[in-house]
Amino acid sequence: MKKLINIVAADDKNGLVSRLTRVPTNSYTMNMRSPPPKLLLVRDDEFLMHDTGRDHPESPARLQEVYRLLDRGFSGHRLPVGAIGILPPRPASREELTAIHSEEYLLRLEEAALAERGYLDHPDNRLSYDSYRVALLAAGAGPAAIDELEAKSATAAGALIRPPGHHAERAAPLGFCFLNNAAVATRYWQQRHGRKKIMIIDWDAHHGNGIQAAFEDDPEVFYLSIHEHPTWSFPGTGWSEERGHGPARGTTLNLPLTPGSGDEPVLRLLKEVVDPAMESFAPEALIIAAGFDGHRDDDMSGLAYSSGLYHHLGRHAATGAARYCPGRLLFQLEGGYQPALLATCLGNFLAGLLAAAAEET
Amino acid sequence: MPAENESLPGCTAPTPWPKPLTLPLPWPTAAKSEINQSKQQKEAGMDIKKYMSTPPVTIPPAMTIPAARSLLQSHHFRHLPVVDEQGKLLGMVTDRDLRSAYPSNILDQDSRQQLAQLQHKPVSEIMSRTTFTLPAAASIDDALLLLDRERIGALPVVDDQHRVLGIFSIRDLMGAYRRLFGLGERGSAMLTIIDDGSPRQLSRLGAALEAADIHFTRLLKIKGQEPEAGEENLIYLRVTTYNLPAVRKVLADAGFKGKNW
Ligand SMILES: [Zn+2]
Repeated sequence: MKKLINIVAADDKNGLVSRLTRVPTNSYTMNMRSPPPKLLLVRDDEFLMHDTGRDHPESPARLQEVYRLLDRGFSGHRLPVGAIGILPPRPASREELTAIHSEEYLLRLEEAALAERGYLDHPDNRLSYDSYRVALLAAGAGPAAIDELEAKSATAAGALIRPPGHHAERAAPLGFCFLNNAAVATRYWQQRHGRKKIMIIDWDAHHGNGIQAAFEDDPEVFYLSIHEHPTWSFPGTGWSEERGHGPARGTTLNLPLTPGSGDEPVLRLLKEVVDPAMESFAPEALIIAAGFDGHRDDDMSGLAYSSGLYHHLGRHAATGAARYCPGRLLFQLEGGYQPALLATCLGNFLAGLLAAAAEET
Repeated sequence: MPAENESLPGCTAPTPWPKPLTLPLPWPTAAKSEINQSKQQKEAGMDIKKYMSTPPVTIPPAMTIPAARSLLQSHHFRHLPVVDEQGKLLGMVTDRDLRSAYPSNILDQDSRQQLAQLQHKPVSEIMSRTTFTLPAAASIDDALLLLDRERIGALPVVDDQHRVLGIFSIRDLMGAYRRLFGLGERGSAMLTIIDDGSPRQLSRLGAALEAADIHFTRLLKIKGQEPEAGEENLIYLRVTTYNLPAVRKVLADAGFKGKNW
């Protein structure tokens, strides 16, 4: 644990990091005998086609900035050379979607996009002609990545996608989300690859009401969320008393934080609550709903995380996966609304993830 | 794994709040003025009639105590209005009245005798006759004040002939306010605005939000209880949107300052 402090990448706001080469500098020392851990990232310019119009926080600029940093090999984040591979998405199939969403809703969503209605149900949920197609790609990114993980072509995968998904309900969009990407991936992993127990850890600043709703009756999916307290924060759900229903009681775990909370309570919760929960559930696959809007400079939440926290979260994900489900770690992008900051925090997350993954091999 | 409804082991800071009462800020009970313009309110309103339990389960005064007791038990409620043949309210019996009519043990001779008599005793002998009621035109605010003042659990709602129309309990009250304030419903967030004491603030705020088509379910203006200690007057606003930067911009343009933004 001592070492990681030194590798936390600094925010590269001032461009201090070398831009001389597209190959990231390999200042990270590795055991040369083992190949670097392979991380597959789903990336596609199609995701920029979901047009939310002017002055919308969930803008294409978010991913543009992420892709720009990706194209520079996350320079400044000291990722191991050659650790990252790119994977194109595929659209989610009807069957994959209806495991989570109703047929009627899918039709409604498609119609709203193609008829260019501007938004669906609430002005928050703006969409454009291409939005339905793009949403299908975002929902299919998880399954595409899972197939690669199951084929052992990578040890971890991430979906750099939009629109985000964790607020989307079975038959309704909410909070910029249309299809519940994490929930679709979860069911796909179970149904296509027979991995029964899936754990979803959601540290987006907001409660993933849609994921919780999809699985609160299912004891084989553990949904754990750390978010700003529902009294203050959107969407106003995710009290600690919400623990799942019937046989699934205990496989929903909400850990709300007071506004203004920084890294310290998160790190403590990881150790004192998340780790024991993971140990008792022993997941066969781990999905991270990775939203970066808890950063103190992201005005979509009142949380006050530092950029460095995401390095710890990356380490935590890789370490947990290595222990319980080696090779079956998937993260999916949720929120994070300051494009440059989002890219930086994501870079830190990847650095932490790859550093821990390298230690585990 | 942490036990139910318990704070997490070893975690003193920002985990789940045990009770809203521990909030560092004045809570809605401290509200000095309050307006509510939610869409739900337009549909649901403040009318007691929308929230009371109907039809009321009522009993005649001649019903025996054991019969009334088993009726309460089978319905899982606590209050029974006693009415005459016209449905006019004569009194109320609560589960507590019924329970205390029974002897505490049945081992001694006296108690057994008491129990035997109970089998035929009518509820009219134990019901309370001085009963508070709400008129059909009452609002849920009226109900809250009366329930709180009299420290009772439920009130019969009666028409002008004193016929029982429904029962309104503290549970119904909580449900009503929960619905009115949009609590626990998906899709809202709360903003805290500093009340600088300038005139017509709430109407300016309402107008600015309306002009921007931003919906809200709650607007509370709360006086700082210890102004000497620098406690500010605050306005709490629950908006039904995730686009908080847009809301903040509208508010800033209208001259409002946020507490934490
Ligand atoms: Zn979020």
